[in-house]
Amino acid sequence: MTRIETAARVGVLVVVLAGCTSRATASATGAASPAANLTIYGAASLKSALDKAKPAWEAAHPGSTLTIATDSSAALETQIEQGAPADVFLSADTTNPKKLADKGLAAGAAVSFAGNKLTVIVPTANPAAIKSPADLAKAGVKVIAAGDAVPITNYATQLVANLAKESGYPSDYVAAYAANIASKEDNVKAVVAKIELGEGDAGIVYVTDAKASTKVVTIDVPDAANVPATYAGVVVKASPNAAAAKAFLDWLAGPDGQAILAGFGFLPPS
Amino acid sequence: MTRLVDTHARRRASAGSAWGHRSVAAVASLIALFLGLPVVALVGRALLDGSLAASLTSRVVLDALLLSLVTTAVSLVLTVVFGLPLAFVLARRSFPGKGWLEAIIDLPIVLPPSVAGLALLIVFGRRGVLAEPFGVLGIAIPFTTVAVILAQTFVSAPFFIRSARTGIASVDRDLEDAARADGASERQLFRSITVPLASAALAAGLVMTWARSLGEFGATIMFAGNVAGRTQTLPLVVYGEFQQGNLDSSIAAAAILVLAAFGVLVAVRVFHWSRVLDARGIS
Repeated sequence: MTRIETAARVGVLVVVLAGCTSRATASATGAASPAANLTIYGAASLKSALDKAKPAWEAAHPGSTLTIATDSSAALETQIEQGAPADVFLSADTTNPKKLADKGLAAGAAVSFAGNKLTVIVPTANPAAIKSPADLAKAGVKVIAAGDAVPITNYATQLVANLAKESGYPSDYVAAYAANIASKEDNVKAVVAKIELGEGDAGIVYVTDAKASTKVVTIDVPDAANVPATYAGVVVKASPNAAAAKAFLDWLAGPDGQAILAGFGFLPPS
Repeated sequence: MTRLVDTHARRRASAGSAWGHRSVAAVASLIALFLGLPVVALVGRALLDGSLAASLTSRVVLDALLLSLVTTAVSLVLTVVFGLPLAFVLARRSFPGKGWLEAIIDLPIVLPPSVAGLALLIVFGRRGVLAEPFGVLGIAIPFTTVAVILAQTFVSAPFFIRSARTGIASVDRDLEDAARADGASERQLFRSITVPLASAALAAGLVMTWARSLGEFGATIMFAGNVAGRTQTLPLVVYGEFQQGNLDSSIAAAAILVLAAFGVLVAVRVFHWSRVLDARGIS
């Protein structure tokens, strides 16, 4: 029995030491120089842009490194709430940064840094012969959507509601679209992936996602019905590198960051 | 003798129905094909389309491979350091509540990994049971490499503890008593008699534990997240790269995991550890 007790005590010690070590390293690098190792939690749709922003930021800030993690903004928000060590949270909407701020987990105001629009994508072979967004409601079309809390789902729901009011769209468009949803993916990149693989017939994604993929075809959405997406970022309150995190957010919203984002088809924040 | 008679009787019974024999074989080969084909097809594709070879230069796969090797090594050490004393106590002592303790230790084996991940978050998370003391000490575990190790240890340690307990319990106490009579200390006894005699069970437990922790996915993604180089182990690459449409990296990581798992099973057979595992299964 004493053996167990000793073992348990040593166990707690090991865990404590491991925790302290990782924390100590992080704050030491933050305090010693203005260069910092920042962890950026970003919306899935930002992945390619952030992969390009990383070397640009690191080159402009010698000694600094960026760690990029991307997933649905909703999933990332939950992870940060649960203590994930993110310095900056870049969301595909303004709702999730607000959620973080409302819980007292954000430092400073949210900064809008990009805009986006929606489009419909189909596999190159277009097996369901989709010609217009109206066809998303045709019987038997396998629509790939994202989970309910994912920002793209919110925007797509608005888009479908707008389209239903356009001329040439059936009266049961909203219900028929909903009935065609075959899968609800974790994030918008997963929606694109399923369409690329041909496992689904069509999906509503951001214009930037459609532009980034060579394996999908875009079906244009009428401008009047389109939904503008606003991307906002915020510094995480628990960040040990708050100053560097704020600098990164401002850099992204500034000319250098905007040039990179524009290269991937992102619009200026509205 | 009885066994021989049984076999004869069985042969006579089945000889009367060749058709039955054939249909059994057909059903058996169907299920064998069902179990074997997906894995063979996966590894085959990884080898043929060159994605396994290409993955040797892929940053994502290599980072994950390194992280997987380091984290599983640490979790294996933790499992042995804390699991072996526990297995010894369970094998040799009886105390009130022992049955309950054994049930709790076995629970992670049958628990869905996502439940394990959520449970770990409820304890170690920012709003978890240990949030206050950890907050004071400045310890943050969730979504770090430490969380990966804890998740792996949580789900895999029971395999080692079970196996080691059975192995230690089967060591002949007379041999230990004899060594004790010759003046061996308890520590010497444990090192020179108990551990060597239980070595097959310990080794089997170790490889099964390692394989389980290498394949750990659900608890890791819930409790440690999916950040490349920090918490993204090989099984998370399989999922993450697939989710982003990078099928090649996904297949390459999957093939590495299949080969590792296959290696474990081969080791178990070659070293005759399977007898120990079978015995454990029966007990």
